[in-house]
Amino acid sequence: MFGYYFKLGVHSLRRNPALTALMVLTLAIGVAASVSTLTILHMMSGDPIPAKSERLFVPQFDNGGLDGYTPGAEPEDMQMSYQDAANLLRGGQGDRRTAMFGVQLPIEPPRKDMSAFKSNGIAPTRDFFAMFDVPFLHGQPWSEQDDERGADVVVLGRAMSEKLFGDANPVGQRLTLMSNPYTVVGVTDTWKPLTRYYKLVGGGHPGQGEEFFIPFSSAIRHETGHSGSMSCSSNRESGYANLLASECTWIQFWFETRSSADRAELQSYIDNYANDQRKLGRMKRNAPNALYNVMEWMEKLKVVGNDSKLSAWLAFAFLILCLVNTIGLLLAKFSVRATEVGIRRALGASRGDIFRQFLIETGVVGLAGGLLGLALSFGALALIGMQSARMAAVARMDLQMLALTFVMSIAAAVIAGLLPTWRACKVTPAIQLKSQ
Amino acid sequence: MEIRPILSALLRNKTGPILVALQVALSLALLVNALHIVNERRTVAARPSGLLDEAATFYFQVRSLNNDTPEQMLATIKRHTEILRGVPGILSVAHVSQMPLSNSGSTSSMSATRDPQQETTSAAMYVSGDSLVQTFGLQLVEGRDFLPGELVDINEQQERTPPRTVIITKALADRLWPGASAIGKTMYFGTGDAPGALVIGVVERLQTAHAQIGDLGEYSVIMPARLYGAAGAIYAMRAEPGQRDRIIKDAEQALRKSSMIPMILETATVAQDREKRYRADMALSWMLVTVSVLLLLITCSGIVGMASLWVTQRRKQIGVRRALGARKIDILRYFIVENVLITSGGVVGGVLLGVGLNGLLVSKLEMTRLPLPYLIGGALLFWAIGILAAYGPAWRAASTSPALATRST
Repeated sequence: MFGYYFKLGVHSLRRNPALTALMVLTLAIGVAASVSTLTILHMMSGDPIPAKSERLFVPQFDNGGLDGYTPGAEPEDMQMSYQDAANLLRGGQGDRRTAMFGVQLPIEPPRKDMSAFKSNGIAPTRDFFAMFDVPFLHGQPWSEQDDERGADVVVLGRAMSEKLFGDANPVGQRLTLMSNPYTVVGVTDTWKPLTRYYKLVGGGHPGQGEEFFIPFSSAIRHETGHSGSMSCSSNRESGYANLLASECTWIQFWFETRSSADRAELQSYIDNYANDQRKLGRMKRNAPNALYNVMEWMEKLKVVGNDSKLSAWLAFAFLILCLVNTIGLLLAKFSVRATEVGIRRALGASRGDIFRQFLIETGVVGLAGGLLGLALSFGALALIGMQSARMAAVARMDLQMLALTFVMSIAAAVIAGLLPTWRACKVTPAIQLKSQ
Repeated sequence: MEIRPILSALLRNKTGPILVALQVALSLALLVNALHIVNERRTVAARPSGLLDEAATFYFQVRSLNNDTPEQMLATIKRHTEILRGVPGILSVAHVSQMPLSNSGSTSSMSATRDPQQETTSAAMYVSGDSLVQTFGLQLVEGRDFLPGELVDINEQQERTPPRTVIITKALADRLWPGASAIGKTMYFGTGDAPGALVIGVVERLQTAHAQIGDLGEYSVIMPARLYGAAGAIYAMRAEPGQRDRIIKDAEQALRKSSMIPMILETATVAQDREKRYRADMALSWMLVTVSVLLLLITCSGIVGMASLWVTQRRKQIGVRRALGARKIDILRYFIVENVLITSGGVVGGVLLGVGLNGLLVSKLEMTRLPLPYLIGGALLFWAIGILAAYGPAWRAASTSPALATRST
């Protein structure tokens, strides 16, 4: 019977083309609006590293001064001072740990036909690559000894490697960074997380991925300026050594634990660490020390902006409006067919049969609206993607969203069809037939 | 007016009217909130930066690749400034630490006293060895520009004492010394033993690098110092109006020609920075405008659809009424009054819903309250739409010939 009702539904779509077109269009627009905004929300807030997001933690201390501090206030900055980063790296807690800061350096290519250019990268420790599952195309991360010595070695991003060396394997080649020769030890494969979740403070936007990686200790040894934000709660003396000794926060730190259950242990470790520092006269604010896992960290730093949430909310309200409109139109469409229902009922169709037939018919409308809505969603996402590189990376539909679009549009149509269908079944055959 | 019979007819068959009223209510609530947000964003994006001729202002970020000593860097900065000044069409050049709207710059905490209990505010630090008042074309409302004797060269790797005089923006002056003139007062870079500087001038406006919403976006301090010692320098320039792009090319060439050693030179205009700064706001406002238009179209089509349905359903009654002597205008009036009643219900609901939605946005997403004119305007708009949308079907109803309508189908 389903196939027959489905055919009847398709047939009935053609009976009143203007009304049908209006209904399908209304539904499609509503679905497209909500799906495109939801896609962006979904992509932005999606877990960037599902296998590990419960085991990667950002520790957060408040090392600000007491001047102008109100107890309980949030720390001014979500980064870490060099002292704390160096101490935690030495402390060796957790399975792996890394400290990093952004660097923007001039690269002088070994090729003579290419002039020098600026390049953006980060300076982490060796563990970074394993912690964030960075894939390697050639070579491997630098060694622990390299971290200790502050060796001048560099891991290139794939795009940068191809720009400098073409398709050749550049491992072992030399490169001039900040006027110092660096040796290439590895090349990462294409690695462009949608959000730069590992370095959210000061440039969490996805870009072209990292162009290069140099050891944290090497960047410090060459007194490299950082690209990103820095917050200093008190005046500091000038010079790099004084910056390292200051309470200025500019470094981002991550721990990886063996399991998510080790969180309590890590928490007590950083609490003890902060207490030790207090004995040395630091961290006078006595503020609680926080740990954030990946998803908590993204929430804390508002990766999903208010604008995206607002768009999604409004789009949903808009979808509801479209549904109300569809209910009205369906009511109109079905009420004209009271006669047809009367005859079928008189010929022995039960209320259930009528209900099924009309519901399948609305399902057909939903299907048509869904297909059109999907096409419109792709259009809307392409439009949104034109905004910026960030939006282009985020405004992409995955399979999950594709399936959701379909389910949503058909469900929307069926929900919209419930009331009109129910009213259609209530037709009393006798009265309908008598009025003929 | 025959409101009572219309009302009782409406009450007998409630589903349709309720649906239409619900539609009107939802669209009204969404529309006023959407337009409110659009207006808010546009207002924010239209704020002036304080620059005299934004379209003609641009800047170079220059970085030399050799390992110069700080003194050599200082000499290079001076040389570059002179070369750029010599380019025909450039009205003014300034070596500066950051640019307004560029989304990258440093701030410092500011305070009117050294009292540690004093709440400080953060302000953007524009450090320039030349006259920003001239290059940016800032408007001095009080005091004067820096004198040549006040200008100092500071090696930022060694020295951290700021210059002794500053020019601040009016917004910052009002924040630090409300109701009093800032000229001659000492402003401190923080509290405790923080250094201070004498305010010698107040400019009308100069937005910060981030151009934040509210007064914070206009808290800026200008300091008369040529900072050197760090790699990279920014030169801001104002070109003759209308010739910016040609002059940019000339200036780039002049600078590149001046040195044998290759340099990294990046050009940006304030117009580009502005576009980037407000891109997300403009995108959101376009999206909301699109949704608003669709909203109105869908609501209109909904009202037309339902009104047409009622007309079709009641053709017999209309015929009977016409046969009993009702004029066309009576029928027309009946349907329009009926629709106005339904729309009014929707408008009342919509105003309540709109205020509720706004309350939700205020509490969850840091929006501002909906001004009353939006509600009034929205309500009037929907009344007009209700009447206009019902007019077509009502006119069709009125044109029904009594003979045709009473004939059995």
